Amino acid sequence: MLTRRTFLQTSLRASAALAASGAAAPKRIAIIATVYRLQSHAQHMGDRFLTGYPYGGAWHKPNMRVVSLYVDQTPEGDLSAARAREFGFQVYPTIAEALRCGGKQLAVDAVLLIAEHGDYPHNDKGQVLYPRYEFFEQCVKVFEEDRRAVPVYNDKHLSYSFEKAKAMVDASRRLHFPMLAGSSIPVTWRLPALELPLDCAIEEALMVGEGGSDAMDFHALEGLQCMVERRRGGETGVKAVQLIQGDAVWQAGEAGRYSKDLLTAALSRSDTPLGLTVTDGRTQDLVASHELPKLVKSPAAYFIEYRDGLKATMLMLDGAIQDFNFAARLKGSQEMWSTQFLLTPDPNVTYSACLMHKAEQMFETGVAPYPVERTLLTSGILESCLTSKLRDNARLETPHLQVAYHPPRVSQFAQT
Amino acid sequence: MSNSNRPKLAAVVTTFFKYSHAQHIVDRFLDGYGWNGAHHYPPMDLVSLYVDQVGQNDLSRERARRHPTMKICPSIADALTLGGSKLAVDGVVLVGEHGNYPRNEKGQTRYPRHEFFEKIVKVFRTSGHAVPVFNDKHLSWNWEWARQMYDTSRELRFGFMAGSSLPVTWRIPSVEMPLGSRVSEALCIGYGGVDSYDFHALEAIQCMVERRRGGETGVESVQAYRGDNFWSALREGVWPRQLMDAALTRSHTLTPARKDFTDIFPTDDDMRRLVADPVAYRYEHADGLKCTMLLMSGLVRDFNFAAYVNGSQDPWSTQMYLPMPDGRTTLANFFSPLVNNMEKLFLTGRAPYPIERTLLTTGLTAAGIESLYLGQKRFETPHLAIHYQPTKESTFWRT
Repeated sequence: MLTRRTFLQTSLRASAALAASGAAAPKRIAIIATVYRLQSHAQHMGDRFLTGYPYGGAWHKPNMRVVSLYVDQTPEGDLSAARAREFGFQVYPTIAEALRCGGKQLAVDAVLLIAEHGDYPHNDKGQVLYPRYEFFEQCVKVFEEDRRAVPVYNDKHLSYSFEKAKAMVDASRRLHFPMLAGSSIPVTWRLPALELPLDCAIEEALMVGEGGSDAMDFHALEGLQCMVERRRGGETGVKAVQLIQGDAVWQAGEAGRYSKDLLTAALSRSDTPLGLTVTDGRTQDLVASHELPKLVKSPAAYFIEYRDGLKATMLMLDGAIQDFNFAARLKGSQEMWSTQFLLTPDPNVTYSACLMHKAEQMFETGVAPYPVERTLLTSGILESCLTSKLRDNARLETPHLQVAYHPPRVSQFAQT
Repeated sequence: MSNSNRPKLAAVVTTFFKYSHAQHIVDRFLDGYGWNGAHHYPPMDLVSLYVDQVGQNDLSRERARRHPTMKICPSIADALTLGGSKLAVDGVVLVGEHGNYPRNEKGQTRYPRHEFFEKIVKVFRTSGHAVPVFNDKHLSWNWEWARQMYDTSRELRFGFMAGSSLPVTWRIPSVEMPLGSRVSEALCIGYGGVDSYDFHALEAIQCMVERRRGGETGVESVQAYRGDNFWSALREGVWPRQLMDAALTRSHTLTPARKDFTDIFPTDDDMRRLVADPVAYRYEHADGLKCTMLLMSGLVRDFNFAAYVNGSQDPWSTQMYLPMPDGRTTLANFFSPLVNNMEKLFLTGRAPYPIERTLLTTGLTAAGIESLYLGQKRFETPHLAIHYQPTKESTFWRT
């Protein structure tokens, strides 16, 4: 008997074998990074194209060759030179030279842009000013000058600024190159392996996460977004956001601004409750026991009002848990839909292999497996939430976040 | 007293400290656990607890104070009779893992599971009726005693469930061996020590291969490899290298074989450097299926399964995922599906999956240790001619 999943396991390898036997020339990849040192995003993700990665029950070697690298900063522990020596590529002093491999014309088939980690200033919203937009613009300049554009993967949010993020997506539209971006959260394993039904009617959705602002909140928001975008009518954009902090977060729960049942459902998926679990190993119902306010010294709630009326909440609960969990209720049903987005342990962080498989897929086919608008909208939601924080937690209308798109019909999270 | 419709349970444990098996299991009955998107409280009451060794780090007294409906009892008989003369509970949870018990010359810890079981059964016999029993992990370190436990459960006709969390925990990916598959070779790579995690890895293999065409037919012989013999066997291809590689690609905890890398596939030399004390049990089932259990501490910290299924040359593989509170998590939630299956045992009187699985893996664990003790000689296992059929329904964690 061949179940759907065993079929998938077999057919994945069959298609991999087919691709390998096709003897297509390996795609040439440029990596543009802020830093390349151990356990930086660039190392985790760039290395997948150098040493291969686990996928579908095999150690998968992309039919791709890293031919050039640009690194903006080379702090202590920099690995760029060692990698270049070992894997036979060149480190170039500018992005343009990396894309042209030292020649006069664009000489790569795809760009992996990873601008996370490194020493960059913060703005007054607490955002790290990673030069994603600036790096991307330099890529676009080469594309325009050389009259050819290639697929670009951009790690994490597009830019700390929605305006810049929008310009990036507009450039990819103008020059007709595929673009993929975002977090590993949407594509990693889920416990359970749950997907909201396409075109479902969502009553309310909630995400819990931890790890602080402008780093982990982006991941949590994108986890939320990849779930709710599947609702009836697809994504319509965001009308308003508000970020509240401190005791107001608990009061909002008491007032029913987010559902405590949903919060209980999301927390029921956590494998990392803190407090008494750390003390003596016990299980906890953190909501019913009223332990949350004791554990979370600085809670934050990110409220998102979508243009079609959906309301979603993301709670950052540092001190209560250490994983990312989602819960939703669909209209006309009391059933809870909840799951954990599994972030597998250091140092393998195999979830980044799930993400790089998507980048590889785009580089191979020229088609992004899911819309970059998801990341565009998430980038904008995050920026506006941080603006709300700066403006005394005021609710902010977000007319600029009219980002409408349709989700991929096929689930994109790791299942095989 | 609690509602009389709710089953009353006794727990009989060796010791009760943070992250001991008894704590993981008993706490889920007392404090509930996350299940199906809610904090689930089992619809039954754990009313008595016997703890054999109460150490400095004991938590059972704190639990009894916080849950006054649970009484600490001075003997196993008291825990079952609630101080009276007859059996007064509807189910028994036996956890004989952890605690200070002597080791024998073969390196087996003499956990008193059989002894506890005998005391439980004595109450059953004097009371003239028996109730379902869950036994954590393998039945006994001693095969004859394990077989006696099994035979007694059949004689007195009580529901008997046992084993590891491995068969019931999450799988990544979430796949089940199709019922009636042809399986020619199966393998699991895990970690940990002999007479400990070998049992878990054996249960991981067994819960998969028991679903093959014809069901389980028993095991004819076991050969252990350790140290240099392990590396020779690996080199000579005693077990299929392709299955081993496939299982390794399911790991989330591959020790980086090279400095300055975070996720890299190990070479043979890397493995030899990383794994100080590798152990393999290679065994043959009566219907010709060959299985291999590998313990490779130093290389991985998870349990990964691979098999050749239905004649395909491409391995079929998954990880049995344990959210392990060794720094990776704080809560060993793989005990949640185990407790959830126990609830089914206590509510229906029937084990949700066959006890014969654990009888066989108990015998396999002892046989692997015997082979090691005999100087890594092949050990014939005519006593493991254990036949059974798997459940049609999957019993691993998917919701």
